[in-house]
Amino acid sequence: MSVLGGLLWLSQQTTATANQPGADVPTWEALVNEPLVRAAVVLFLGIALGIVVGKLNRRLLTAAGVPEMVEGTPFESSARSLGSSTVDIVARLSAWFIYGIAALAAVHVAEIVRTGQFWLGVVRFVPDVFVAVLVLIVGFVVADKAELVVSERLRGIKLPEVNLLPRVVKYSVIYVAFLVALAQVGVHMLALLVLFAGYLFGLIFLGGLAFRDLLRSSAAGVYLLLNQPYGIGDQIEIDGHEGVVQEVDLFITQIESEGREYIVPNHRVFKTGVVRVRQ
Amino acid sequence: MANMAALFGEILSDVDTVVLFSPSGSYYERFSEAEDLDVLVVGTENAVGAETFVELPLEFEEIAQRVRFGLEGALEAGYIDDGDVLLCATSVFDGSIDTVSRVRADGSSQSGVYDLFSSSRAEPAVIKDVLELAVELGKKGQKGKPVGALFVVGDAGKVMNKSRPLSYNPFEKSHVHVGDPIVNVMLKEFSRLDGAFVISDSGKIVSAYRYLEPSAEGVDIPKGLGARHMAAGAITRDTNATAIVLSESDGLVRAFKNGELLLEIDPEDY
Repeated sequence: MSVLGGLLWLSQQTTATANQPGADVPTWEALVNEPLVRAAVVLFLGIALGIVVGKLNRRLLTAAGVPEMVEGTPFESSARSLGSSTVDIVARLSAWFIYGIAALAAVHVAEIVRTGQFWLGVVRFVPDVFVAVLVLIVGFVVADKAELVVSERLRGIKLPEVNLLPRVVKYSVIYVAFLVALAQVGVHMLALLVLFAGYLFGLIFLGGLAFRDLLRSSAAGVYLLLNQPYGIGDQIEIDGHEGVVQEVDLFITQIESEGREYIVPNHRVFKTGVVRVRQ
Repeated sequence: MANMAALFGEILSDVDTVVLFSPSGSYYERFSEAEDLDVLVVGTENAVGAETFVELPLEFEEIAQRVRFGLEGALEAGYIDDGDVLLCATSVFDGSIDTVSRVRADGSSQSGVYDLFSSSRAEPAVIKDVLELAVELGKKGQKGKPVGALFVVGDAGKVMNKSRPLSYNPFEKSHVHVGDPIVNVMLKEFSRLDGAFVISDSGKIVSAYRYLEPSAEGVDIPKGLGARHMAAGAITRDTNATAIVLSESDGLVRAFKNGELLLEIDPEDY
């Protein structure tokens, strides 16, 4: 009650010049009509909503299995070292976002400051910043996770240079997240986009060029695996090599005859056709 | 307290190589940091990233078998030489390393068990998976009843040409590999079918329900084993495949290669 009393006193001080000074006995209608009281209510509601949304967010993220998903990523571990966690940070962020909105709304309702063009701009800007920060966090976590997954996949390959690949994947994801975040807050970034386009071009065009045969073979391999025009044990001839099929996988077909094993890329199968030898 | 190092000195003296069986990371670290000491790691997987490593196909329960298999593999790979004195540190009871034994490497008593994995046509991991499957199947059986099974691994093209289908092949147009989690269940169900499973070099299950038709002349397997073992011995003599048999009558798992019985293990021990 003392808080309300204090507020009332404050509002009387500020609105003393505007209202008639005679109203000493505060009625409930007058109280509700006070801008400061309204602002307090708005602020209170905002804080309550923020807490609820934060809690809800945390529950939802935990239920969706986010803690297990981000397990082991550097972002999570650095969050842990600060006594927090990824879920905690995202939940807090959403709560603080709502607090911020509530504070701005309260300022607006209380009419303490002239809510002119500047504040309108700020109000419009806040959600963008929020989304940008969220995108950055998600980007970092996904990048770390992608790096982990790729390096896990490549673990069996004992080649030092292969360690470069997970890092390339990681920074690519972070770069894209940065681009999205910057676009969200409306920063000019033509140069970055051009760089990105160049990167994509290199990846797709040169990658396509380098992996052309592998891609062609795997496309043919999909058909071979699904329809199995020939299977293990069949006597076939591909490209002049005749023998018994020993293995068919996505990229190659192995045929063996008299101690010679031919490893034929699957795109040759489509190019030259297959002869099935039946006795 | 008497000086243990002096009392047990003869066990620890003049050791060429220390062989650690499935050590933990910190345990291995301690040994690898010591200078002028050859360390060899044996285990089901190279969890500590050791340079000299011998892979065990199974977690052998019996120590003698574990040591013998590990040393045979090490000899094969050239990590140790015939006549080397080895200190084998392994665990008898649960968990960490608690036992040390002194063994002399003996190159003449090679049983070829390690050969089964290292120089088979099929990938070692595939043979390991199939062996695990057979052991699992032998332990549990089909609904509590003992079952028999015959897996022919590797050289699938030739095996398919030397066998005929007993009925419709349930693995037609499927792409399951041994080691896939679903396979355990599938094979358990299909093991009630008679006939052999054919598995390719890379572990793809090519067919079930095959009747093997190799020529059985000159196959020498111990007396008392049945038709399933005879078929297994014969097909491995005729092709480069490896056969792994789970016996229905005595429940043992046996492995054949080149028409010879190489390995005999009791599923109950694992």
